[in-house]
Amino acid sequence: MSETKYLETHEWYIVDGDNFTVGISDFAQGELGDIVFITLPEVGQEFNKGDAIVEVEATKTVAEAYAPMNCVITEVNSNLEAEPELINNDPVGDGWMVKAQIKEMDDSGMTYQEYESFIS
Amino acid sequence: MSELKTTSLYEFHLNKNSKMIDFAGWSMPFSYDGTLKEHNYVRQSAGYFDVSHMGRLRLSYSQIEDINYLICSELNELDNTKALYSIFTSDTGTAIDDVIFWKFEDDLILICNASNTSKIKNHLDTNSINYEDLTDETDLIAVQGNKAISIIEEMMVIPNKFSTSKDSKYIYARTGYTGEDGVEVMLDQKDTLKFIQQLEAKGVMPCGLGSRDTLRLEASLPLYGFELTDDITPVEAGLKWTLSNKSDYMGKSVIEEQINSKQHKYLKRFKLNAKQIARTGTVCKAGNINGIVTSGNISPILGYPIGFAMFETNPSDNLVEFDIRGNLIEGNLLDKRFLS
Repeated sequence: MSETKYLETHEWYIVDGDNFTVGISDFAQGELGDIVFITLPEVGQEFNKGDAIVEVEATKTVAEAYAPMNCVITEVNSNLEAEPELINNDPVGDGWMVKAQIKEMDDSGMTYQEYESFIS
Repeated sequence: MSELKTTSLYEFHLNKNSKMIDFAGWSMPFSYDGTLKEHNYVRQSAGYFDVSHMGRLRLSYSQIEDINYLICSELNELDNTKALYSIFTSDTGTAIDDVIFWKFEDDLILICNASNTSKIKNHLDTNSINYEDLTDETDLIAVQGNKAISIIEEMMVIPNKFSTSKDSKYIYARTGYTGEDGVEVMLDQKDTLKFIQQLEAKGVMPCGLGSRDTLRLEASLPLYGFELTDDITPVEAGLKWTLSNKSDYMGKSVIEEQINSKQHKYLKRFKLNAKQIARTGTVCKAGNINGIVTSGNISPILGYPIGFAMFETNPSDNLVEFDIRGNLIEGNLLDKRFLS
């Protein structure tokens, strides 16, 4: 498994062979506040880099998470349907959103250190 | 852009790791522990809010008849030591601001929305009403919650509901903006920190403007700038109960015409039969009547999304369809308040 990378749109992703897992960063969940509902994609849906894949409803606002690269969804974290607060409590762990098969590798995200300086 | 104003508790909020937001030119706490937790502190126990950004003006009692002409409610004949929610109306009957008056034997305290303090001061100036602006020399702390009164009665004499009181330290009223019982306390800035430390020692939790908004929405209370604006009358906002003014007042003829003709906009409460939130600006349709959401959020207590929407005319159909980012989501208009 490679290192966790971050996007300027505040997603994290981690590549594992031909697949990746994606969620939103701790900074992003903090900015959104309490997450109360999440709309996940269907398994098999295809997305291009930059497409909105997940919609996140929080008490403060609504936000989208974007695909870090071209991909096909292989698994969604259905625990989030009943417990969207998992994203607040553990954004880079139990709060993961979807897993996808990579159609075109693009591992150009920021390292954690780079992301830290990006958000500060 | 000019620098944001801060309350005397600014450093205190930062030390509590509050998330701060810009609100009406002020840097104010949005939340400390999370909006939902803070919402529940108030519904189940008690919370306190720094609402010192709200305008506070002292008015002399002798001007009461002139003030009475500017609002839609009866202030003149209200008993001393009572609090009054009312609306400053324009000559076209629309809302200049919704405010609280605290009536005492010798003076009145007017509390207005932070976003409208300058507007209200100008309006008073235009109508030759003198005031003393207390906003920058005092603080205003709202202590609200299911258990707020039993906690705070150890610190001050509790007036009856919607009544005012004052002692050597505090000028206050048993009012609020959460749907729970409680008091709103105006005090000298040098006393605020001690007051808050006493509250915290009794288990009262700090709450930010995020939960203040979800609490007021769930309690079916309007927010100026959303349910009430310069373009909305009290009748349109469903606030006919505030029209208690027995004398003539500004905009009265327009307001009475609206009551008689029923030809006006209508603010309605709604709930959604889905999890998506219909936020401010979402368009909706009840039958063939167009509407627009003024405020919407999840109701933490009810567990589903609720809100207010303004319709062009009175919808006869209580089924309503919301266009939430291209998806049509069904909801229902409600006659009753969200919480019984």
